[in-house]
Amino acid sequence: MKKINPVFKYFLTLGSMLRTNIRDYGMYIALGAIFITFSAMTNGNFLKPTNFTNLLNQTAYVSVLAVGMTLVIVTKQIDLSVGFLGAFLGAYVVVAVEVNDQSVIVAVLSALVITIIVGFIKGYFVAKVKIPAFVVTLAGMFIFKGLLMLRTNNRTIPTTNTFFNKIGVGYLTDNVVGTVDTLTAVVGFSLIALFILMGILKRSKNKRLGIPSEKIELFITKLIIMSTLIFFITWTLARFRGISYLLLITAVIVVIYHIFTTQTVLGRRIYAVGGNPEAAELSGISVEKILIIVFISMGILALFSGVMYASMLQNTSPNHGPFWELYAIAAAYIGGTSADGGVGKVVNAFIGSIVIMSLKNGMALAAVNSNIEPIVLGSVLLLAVVFDVYTRNVRGADMVGMHYAKIEYKEEYKNAKSKFNEIKHALKKASKEDNKDIIELEYQYTSALGDLNRIKDTIRSAQEEDYIGKLRNY
Amino acid sequence: MQKKKLLEMRAITKTFPGVKALDEVDLYVEEGEIHFIVGENGAGKSTLMKVLSGIYHHGTYSGDIVFDEQIQHFHGISDSVKAGIVIINQELALFPELSVYENIFVGHEIQNKKFMNWDETKRLATQYLKMVGLKKVDIYDNVGTYGVGVQQLVEIAKALSQNVRLLILDEPTAALNEDDSERLLNLIVDLKKKGITSIMISHKLKEVEAIADSLTVLRDGKVICRMDRSEINEQEIIKNMVGREITDIFPKRPKFKDGEVVFETVHFNAFDTNKNRYVVNNSNIKVKKGEVVGVAGLMGAGRTELAMSIFGNPLNYKISGSTVVYGKVHKLNSPSKAIKAGIAYVSEDRKGNGLILREDISQNITLTDLGKISKSGFLNFPEQALQSEKYVKDLNIKTPSIFQQLKNLSGGNQQKVQVAKWLFAEPKILILDEPTRGIDVGAKYEIYTIINELVAKGMSIIMISSELPEIMGMCDRVYVIAEGVQTAEFNIEDATPEKILAKATL
Repeated sequence: MKKINPVFKYFLTLGSMLRTNIRDYGMYIALGAIFITFSAMTNGNFLKPTNFTNLLNQTAYVSVLAVGMTLVIVTKQIDLSVGFLGAFLGAYVVVAVEVNDQSVIVAVLSALVITIIVGFIKGYFVAKVKIPAFVVTLAGMFIFKGLLMLRTNNRTIPTTNTFFNKIGVGYLTDNVVGTVDTLTAVVGFSLIALFILMGILKRSKNKRLGIPSEKIELFITKLIIMSTLIFFITWTLARFRGISYLLLITAVIVVIYHIFTTQTVLGRRIYAVGGNPEAAELSGISVEKILIIVFISMGILALFSGVMYASMLQNTSPNHGPFWELYAIAAAYIGGTSADGGVGKVVNAFIGSIVIMSLKNGMALAAVNSNIEPIVLGSVLLLAVVFDVYTRNVRGADMVGMHYAKIEYKEEYKNAKSKFNEIKHALKKASKEDNKDIIELEYQYTSALGDLNRIKDTIRSAQEEDYIGKLRNY
Repeated sequence: MQKKKLLEMRAITKTFPGVKALDEVDLYVEEGEIHFIVGENGAGKSTLMKVLSGIYHHGTYSGDIVFDEQIQHFHGISDSVKAGIVIINQELALFPELSVYENIFVGHEIQNKKFMNWDETKRLATQYLKMVGLKKVDIYDNVGTYGVGVQQLVEIAKALSQNVRLLILDEPTAALNEDDSERLLNLIVDLKKKGITSIMISHKLKEVEAIADSLTVLRDGKVICRMDRSEINEQEIIKNMVGREITDIFPKRPKFKDGEVVFETVHFNAFDTNKNRYVVNNSNIKVKKGEVVGVAGLMGAGRTELAMSIFGNPLNYKISGSTVVYGKVHKLNSPSKAIKAGIAYVSEDRKGNGLILREDISQNITLTDLGKISKSGFLNFPEQALQSEKYVKDLNIKTPSIFQQLKNLSGGNQQKVQVAKWLFAEPKILILDEPTRGIDVGAKYEIYTIINELVAKGMSIIMISSELPEIMGMCDRVYVIAEGVQTAEFNIEDATPEKILAKATL
């Protein structure tokens, strides 16, 4: 057998990785496609510094909700109340500051107490009283809408507090538009350096512990792609006004929740509860406690969302709140969170919210009829979930091994295939004529199908390592 | 020299409403031995293990559990785990979407001030997996990507990571193929050498003979005997398991004379892709007109799976082979096709799969063929009532009215409604899956009478039952199934409970 061409082999390896981890990369590919499409439709305006910065700022309030919603959905629950809860908490803070002359800090802290109590109550009804979360939070949705209207007295209240306003429209530095923001550039290069360093450290640690690392060519490809991405994002931001407070808050929340869900005992137990509640209980985990914590965390993030939204628009209004929770739920699903529970990444939910906001932003920018936007959004959501269902049972594949196996089993495959077709044909004919041999033929049909599938499976599961010895013989 | 008794259960009695599930059960297990508990279905084996592992809290039963020379009061499974008793149920307690290494430590995570210590977790997981002989498993893969055999070993690895001293396995090999079973049994013997004591519940007497150091036979919630290694022999165990006389609780019917074959499976297989094994393996059964054919076998042998795959395969097994109804090959790939072909299936799980408990009798009975009581799409309610009344009278269903909700009926009457429901579809072949489970003796007799009336009218019946007396008393012919394979066929005159059980236990 001939050894494979190294360039071809590299692409096969890359292909196997994509194929094996399609669930993880699918969304990034989709986001890339959306970016390219809108850039083309808007003569490149979509990815220009101004619009790109705006896009990320607009995404902030949905992102933080989506992060919390991911954990809610991971535990097989839902929270419909967070849109109006967030808007109400935003209104609570604005009214406290503007009308009652409280300081922003005090107002936010009292809102925090409120939202923790609310989260506990929601969690209590869901976990202890065992009322479906859909009903509990639907009730909450109505209640918070009422509270929002009460608190704002049904009118729009503008915000005048400089500190509060800075959250929504301020940037870390006072960069003049058109020049390059130094801080953002420094952050960008540090992130790239950090990323490369961490990758290398992890490889050396794996080596020390004897854990297999991914192939070196894949590792380098990933590093190059990620570095380019970080460079592009920070470079774009730096040429406008740099990093906004909204983006900073969002990034910090996403990083904290990423660490929380992947590195802490409590975070992992949330996933255990979602994956198999009975088994979690038998493993000594209190399912009720976990559910209550998840609803409290969701409430705290709703507070962030409400404050960010109010300060971004520089007002609070009884019209805030509708559809926020639905965008968050959609973002979580687009980000690959499974409705069956136990699966979902907060980083992907963040990307999911960027997908949603890109569609909204991009279509507005491209002057597409705004009535079409919800239709596109709905279709994308449906596609994302369909994709998730179809890729659920994807098994790992080594396309290099498959390439060799295809050559090795070429003859067998051909024979099995033709035999199968023959019997299939005979069976079809026999069943039309109501032939007596039909039982015997059906038996042959299934065994031929079995033979064919066996060869397909062998090819499918072939590994490159299996062929190393054989290659040397040639 | 007498070895130390690691576990002693003294006079354990556990009652459920109306049933004494365990009656003064005494049992002891010596340190470092493999102890088996054997008995027929419903003998109380699983209940006993639930008492031992604290799933039934202390106080819900009477008697004492002495473990490690101390009387224990377990209030939940975490208490028994702390003491060193770990139970592995048939329903595995794993998280399919989490990685292998994470699964092993869920609930007792290796932590560093509330943060996961992943390095240590992975290192120890690799070590425990090596101990259970899983060298080829990638610890990063999700547990759900592996079959039951591997999952079971992961559970044992989890038990080891909890410093287990007494490992309880409830029918561990019931869902495994031969290779996996052998691997598991070897592992148990291996663990014994490392000082881990095991209790196993098993129906497979070959396994018992192979690795048991001692065993306890349970029957009807009572301990029948304890045997040591030297005394263990298959014949003796079976005698003790069966042990009861068949009294005259079956109505008589004329002896079956030969008839035309109305239903047949030919090289019929069902492959369960989730469990990655054949649940029905080359089944060839024949049913004649007016005959009652029994399907005997132990729990998990594939009886219900056989019935389900004949009845339109609602569980989506991969089917191969043919089913022949009245001399014609039928592709029965949905229950509605099976019904049209003249087959009906009375489920063993009447609450889950058979009946709609919130609805009334008339709605339940007529559900199988609403077309019969409707005109151009509209239901004809008087006709529905009339038809239902007829079946209520025919089957002697005791109820104040046909508009009674099913949840208010007794188990026996619910079962009769389930039979009525399927008779309404006018089948030619009726499959009864555990038709008398959980109903009292009087109602059983009535069900048997109904069966006799039906075959007298020319219907053919396939009856699945775990109760050998019922098979012996009601069937004309019996097929025995073990692990999906048809192991024997007896005319009822040639069969004895011992013979059937011997074929069912392999």
